[in-house]
Amino acid sequence: MNAVARFGKSQVRVEDQRFLTGLGRYIDDVNVANQFHAAFVRSPHAHAQVRSLDTQAASAAPGVQLIVTGVEWHAQCFGPLPCRSPSRVNRDGTPFKEPARQCLANDIVRYVGEPVAMVVATTADQARAAADLVVVDYYALPSVTDRAAALEPDATQLWPGIPNNLCLDFEAGNRKAVEAAVASAAHIVRLDVANNRLTAVPMEPRGVIAGYDRATGVYTLLNSSQNIHANRDLMAQMLKIAPEKLHHVAPDIGGGFGAKNSVYPEPLVLLYAAGKLGRSVKWVADRTEAFLTDTHGRDQQSAVALALDAEGKFLALHVDTIGNVGAACGTMGPFTPTGGTARTQGGPYFIPAILYTAKAVFTNTVQTDPYRGAGRPEAVFHIERIIEFAARKLGFDRIELRRKNLIQPSQLPYTSPTGLAIDSGNFPAVMQRVLDMADRDGFPARATISRAKGLRRGFAVTPYLECSGGAPQEEASVSFSADGIVILSVGTHSTGMGHETALAQILSDRLGIGIARVKFRQGDTDATKIGGGHGGSRGIEIGGSATLNVADMVIDKARAIAAHLLNSRSDDITFANGTLTDIKTGQTVTIDTVIEAAGDSSRLPANLSKGALDSTANFEREAITVPNGAHACEVEVDPETGVVRVVGFWAVDDFGSVINPMLADGQVMGGIAQGLGQALLEEIVYDRDSGQPVTASLLDYALPRADHMPRMEIAFYEGAPTKRNPLGAKGAGEAGCCGASPVIVNAVLDALNEYGVQHIDMPLTPEKVWRAINGSTGR
Amino acid sequence: MDDFNFVRASSVADASKRAAAATEAKYLAGGQTLLPVMKQRLASPSDLISLSRIPELSAISCDDDKIVIGATARHADVAAHPGINALLPALAVLAGGIGDPHVRNRGTIGGSLANNDPAADYPAAALGLGATIETDKRHIAADDYFQGLFSTALDAGELITRVVFPIPRRAGYIKFPHAASRYALVGVMVSQSATGVRVAVTGAGAGVFRVPAMEMALARSFSAASIEASTVPPTDLTSDIHGSAEYRAHLITIMARRAVARALGESLS
Repeated sequence: MNAVARFGKSQVRVEDQRFLTGLGRYIDDVNVANQFHAAFVRSPHAHAQVRSLDTQAASAAPGVQLIVTGVEWHAQCFGPLPCRSPSRVNRDGTPFKEPARQCLANDIVRYVGEPVAMVVATTADQARAAADLVVVDYYALPSVTDRAAALEPDATQLWPGIPNNLCLDFEAGNRKAVEAAVASAAHIVRLDVANNRLTAVPMEPRGVIAGYDRATGVYTLLNSSQNIHANRDLMAQMLKIAPEKLHHVAPDIGGGFGAKNSVYPEPLVLLYAAGKLGRSVKWVADRTEAFLTDTHGRDQQSAVALALDAEGKFLALHVDTIGNVGAACGTMGPFTPTGGTARTQGGPYFIPAILYTAKAVFTNTVQTDPYRGAGRPEAVFHIERIIEFAARKLGFDRIELRRKNLIQPSQLPYTSPTGLAIDSGNFPAVMQRVLDMADRDGFPARATISRAKGLRRGFAVTPYLECSGGAPQEEASVSFSADGIVILSVGTHSTGMGHETALAQILSDRLGIGIARVKFRQGDTDATKIGGGHGGSRGIEIGGSATLNVADMVIDKARAIAAHLLNSRSDDITFANGTLTDIKTGQTVTIDTVIEAAGDSSRLPANLSKGALDSTANFEREAITVPNGAHACEVEVDPETGVVRVVGFWAVDDFGSVINPMLADGQVMGGIAQGLGQALLEEIVYDRDSGQPVTASLLDYALPRADHMPRMEIAFYEGAPTKRNPLGAKGAGEAGCCGASPVIVNAVLDALNEYGVQHIDMPLTPEKVWRAINGSTGR
Repeated sequence: MDDFNFVRASSVADASKRAAAATEAKYLAGGQTLLPVMKQRLASPSDLISLSRIPELSAISCDDDKIVIGATARHADVAAHPGINALLPALAVLAGGIGDPHVRNRGTIGGSLANNDPAADYPAAALGLGATIETDKRHIAADDYFQGLFSTALDAGELITRVVFPIPRRAGYIKFPHAASRYALVGVMVSQSATGVRVAVTGAGAGVFRVPAMEMALARSFSAASIEASTVPPTDLTSDIHGSAEYRAHLITIMARRAVARALGESLS
């Protein structure tokens, strides 16, 4: 109870007892009095005209309370689903194209799974059964699901007034400098690469309980959302109600990875139904709905060109991308393949000229939106694949080529040609450390052993650099209750990654109180005035810094109270390890005594009142941080079957100051698993002709499992903390998947070097690898 | 899931009587296929007749020349059975590689054979080991039992009671798992016994099938080398996003070779 958690020390997660014993409280665990249940009628077509929609049979079905159709929804004149993409301007200065996307379609459906109606009934089974009775007359239209095909002149057009399905035509960097460098370079290497379309598959599917109190006019939305405050404002705007009339709450969330960031149609339609019925309405997606309607990630293809001088110095990089945004803009719309992928182009390398161009296109697929990394893993993939390719093609040692071009510590701070301001880091030291950990020199002996087993062994190392993001500001507040409990409320959001421990640890360390006394609150628009939720690896960086600030505010107040108790002056009171000391008299008082006194106005100075220690503080970053590191990996490939096994993985990550190394390890491991999934297993596939998703269940969408994962050795480089926040922390959440995909792909291609294989697009499935070995591509 | 009547049969005779009386009955053993399908409302039987209270249906016994496995024996029970591990380890290995622990602790051999999923493991065991499927009406040789995609020789209402496996001289099973489902993309059971050699392939086609060319080659010389060049034409094999017919055909040869090596107790890479 009284153990004080310390900065930099692994601290067992306080939330795990609850999560691992079935006591987590997820949406599906929550039931409110008199709730009804909703089910959605969804388009079975990739692209079709809705000619009519007949609800007669469904209305007469047992238990049915209400049916909301696209026609009714449109008649309410609610706002369209919002697009908050920070990238909004075409290269010619004109604004990007943002079609009005409604919560329920009433004329055209544009992807399989798009909702056209919602049925509310007494039970969930009744709602589902009645939804199946809604008769929709569709007139099927030709569809396009492939990002490049959508730009073809004869492609099906999704939206009137949006020619060539082009949402945003983006450019960043320095075109002239790149063109000049390319014209004079000794070498130019080019490679086309793709970042496969992925889905997050959070363990908990999305779910909603919407309620409405007729007496107060307040809607309550329990929602499996990572982004409570911002989405409250956006949804209130859509529904044309004041934000304070929408109380938005997220209970425990079972994974998000970006897929729970967006404003989705379902909560809005449920809120509407709750208002109309005066009763709560519940909906929880099943796994198929999750595959069909959760926002997807990646889905980019890029032509990468790197210019080098004769000695291998990088001169210029040009990456030209086509990114699939889906049928309409998600909440971040075209941002991920454009601005999101532009920022970290070039990675930790000194490249004087960089040009990033991208076309974000609409297709008959569900919206894409940020998925763990949101553009940064793609950018790492671009530079690391082209370097590996260039080294092999031009005969450079691939490690020395990297070493030669890394930005040196003496060159920092450095602003990249696409505008990323890198403040801190030691990229050469980090890469050397991972090479030492991986026993690079012992590789040939290990490769010989693999070969004796009929296998081919490959090795790769990839430095990576990414950047944090998300909302720049955060609030943290603490209040002290009479029983010694300290309630810490923050606007960041843990979807399982351990904030309940890490943020409490900061407060515990700073105030010198037992971590078990900290009660954690998040995900509630009533708990904090503002909140940036989860996204961009901002939890510790921004939420942790706000927590640190509020702790310091409490300490300042505690010194004033201690001065009063000790008949001293605040300026003479110091605080350390939970004890306040009068430096003149040596008298001391504990923080607990001060906390007690703060609850008793008779023990407080005249200018303070009961509850004086309760505090709220904000933190706003001046700039995003630049987490970086280097990953190394070894694989074994079975040339008979094409099966790849990752047999060793080493990571050195620079997250600045690490609060809880065990939690940071977990972030890295989870990220590596998702990177391995992208590299070897995962891909959302739509049938090219019909537009039907063919990977809409776990029988067809391959996720990494425990036995795919190697032993991972993880270390942290803490020699370059950032000054951009008081903790010195750089976001840790997305680093793992930035390094893992390229390092695994490069290691496989190293293993296949003797077969002359130049490139294989992810995922590197056994058949693709087998075909590459045997000199054929595709099927 | 739609509503249905649920009863627990007290005996095999009781089960078949109840099935005959119902509009559309389904026997419920482990439920690992049937229940998910019902949840998706792809099947809506009027009556579910549970076999869980018929103890003799789950018995496993071994003697010198055969292993008899009751229809409701769980995969986990088969995988862990000392007699099976001693006499026919390939069968224990196969059962221990089905699905995941949840599936192995619920799913049954009778359920798997009655369903005859084209990528299931047990059909390869039954066909590759020359098993006899016993029902409440008759004994069916494995060669007559499997009739393609989800089809078997079972009549409506006919209930598998036991599966009898003769004990071969040697046998080996290798599965190349489907990346997502972990069913067999290609699974090969190879056995050698007094009655001959059997090579049965699951996962690659519309249903489990034997490979006569490989059987003949192995009958001449039971070694991995003897089927090195033996291939199954891709023409009738399954082709989907997880594996083209050509790749599956290639895997059949590789997996068959490795199954032979395993049968011979050779170590595999």
